[in-house]
Amino acid sequence: MIDARGLSARVGSFRLKDVTFAVPNGSYGVVIGPAGSGKTTLLETIAGITPQTGGTLHLDGRVATALPPEQRNLGLVYQHGYLFPHLSVDQNIAYGAAHPDVAREVASRVGAWELRDRPVESLSGGERQLVALARALARRPSIVLLDEPFSALDPRRRESTRRELRRIHREWGMTMLQVTHDFTEAGLLGDVAILLDAGRVLQSGKPEEVFRHPASPYVAEFLGAENVFAGTARVLPDHSPDWYPGVEPGLAEGHHAIEFRTGALTIYAVANAVENPGYAVIRAEEVLLSLEPQVASSARNHFRGRIAEISTLGALTRVSIDVDGSVLVAALTTRSAQELALAVGLEAYASFKAMAVHLC
Amino acid sequence: MIRLFPQLPRSIATIFAALLGSLLFLFLVAPIAQLVATAGIQGSERLVTDGELRRALVLTAATATVATTLGVLGGTPIAFVIERWRFRGRAVVAALLDLPLLIPHPVAGIALLLVLGRDSAVGQAALSLGLRIVGSPAGIVCAMLFVSAPLYLSGAREAFARVDRRFEAVARTLGDHRWRVFRRVTLPLSGRGLVAAAVVMWARAVSEFGAIVIITYNPKTASVLSYDRFTSFGLREALPVAAILTLLALLPLTVLRALRYERRPGLDVAGAQG
Repeated sequence: MIDARGLSARVGSFRLKDVTFAVPNGSYGVVIGPAGSGKTTLLETIAGITPQTGGTLHLDGRVATALPPEQRNLGLVYQHGYLFPHLSVDQNIAYGAAHPDVAREVASRVGAWELRDRPVESLSGGERQLVALARALARRPSIVLLDEPFSALDPRRRESTRRELRRIHREWGMTMLQVTHDFTEAGLLGDVAILLDAGRVLQSGKPEEVFRHPASPYVAEFLGAENVFAGTARVLPDHSPDWYPGVEPGLAEGHHAIEFRTGALTIYAVANAVENPGYAVIRAEEVLLSLEPQVASSARNHFRGRIAEISTLGALTRVSIDVDGSVLVAALTTRSAQELALAVGLEAYASFKAMAVHLC
Repeated sequence: MIRLFPQLPRSIATIFAALLGSLLFLFLVAPIAQLVATAGIQGSERLVTDGELRRALVLTAATATVATTLGVLGGTPIAFVIERWRFRGRAVVAALLDLPLLIPHPVAGIALLLVLGRDSAVGQAALSLGLRIVGSPAGIVCAMLFVSAPLYLSGAREAFARVDRRFEAVARTLGDHRWRVFRRVTLPLSGRGLVAAAVVMWARAVSEFGAIVIITYNPKTASVLSYDRFTSFGLREALPVAAILTLLALLPLTVLRALRYERRPGLDVAGAQG
């Protein structure tokens, strides 16, 4: 278990400030943040390499604040591997190994065993990452800290290594904390997501929770939400005709129907007691696009506008719809976009459910 | 890139720079080449016939080796601490250790005489233990150590600075305590740089004259002998000694160049392409 409370550290002029989060025993934590947000410094502080200047740190229930790195029973894998260049690959893997058999087993499982006869300097960046991973795991630590450990692997290898690491993690019951830029990776691996920026934790919790309910518009935009609107909200009274003409709101207890006004848009949302929400966030995947009005749709929010921009990236296409000066972005598969024969300037309809609107 | 003389055409500037560089090269090489050409063969013959020269060379090599050993043993931990630890007064300590490089070497000899001379506390303590410093090989070692150890310290600091701390960090997370990390990781990775620094120190110790001549004129090191031959017998007698010293200086120079230019594997961490 990693339990950080008010953790602070300093490296040159950079400060890690009041970092609080917990990764329960045997869980997989993921740290997400822009470049320079302090992700590596956080891992190094947990490892005891960067001195802690404040707060408390518990590792596996022990107070680790004053423990030297070698007594923290953790493994650290840097993005660049930092393989010892004066040792062979084999010696690198065996460096701190709990037992030669463990080193061999783990090296085989992550695909580093076949590299054992190669000189370190001949390894590619990805191969170095595999050897570094094997070296850290061979010690059988209870906690593993990973700093973008798959960044140099090709997509196929990345996927297989990620799967194998997840298996080892479950079998051995280790606690993992991984730094990544990849939101998909964070969603696939993480039990706990920690969003870091400028040395502070912006939000932490279950990845789905963080992605669906970002704590601030900054978090939402950082996590890739295209539709972030500033505006004002008003709680609608129960059975309000504004909410859904002729239909009972039927909201769960504690939830309210909210009307959110932003520019030309009036957005309906469902939320529990949010105090003065200033922003509405809708993920582009939640916005349904059509060229005809969606009469039978159960979605509460419907808008008519004109297609302002179409951008295709592989299998996904993003379409910007101008609704009286406000722009809504919808994401759909490229195939669907082709079937709809979308073109800039066409009239289009965007709709999304009230539950898809996150207020913060 | 900033052009020093923007008004000059590029070709003229190139010719001008090449001319200046060539002049400096000739200025540095010509006297040595002339010395070796004039007296190199004679100097090599003197190695066989001149017993005093042989003794001086052996004494120089032995005292320089002892001084270098002491410098490496004492200087390595100091260089490591200055390079790796952050403490108040670190810059002052580093500056103080560089100071012997800046003072004239006869002044260094006089300073050493004050501290190690017969009338000093250290000198008297050494004498009571049967060790005479001034006028003995021990004095030569002290003079050599004083003037050349800062060069080792500087080289060793650079060697440690070139070792990325993250190698050491990884080793610590793999269970090694500080001293074990130093032995298993830092020392092997900085080894080439440390040896190069030791070679520079040894070469500087061998060529030292100013401080040695103040503290120990006799027994004579090679540099003192060449000076002695010059003042007693003139240029003709000094030339063979000077030439053989120059030829022997090629030895550490060759070692140094081999260490510097040989490929340094692995200190890059990103890995090969692909």
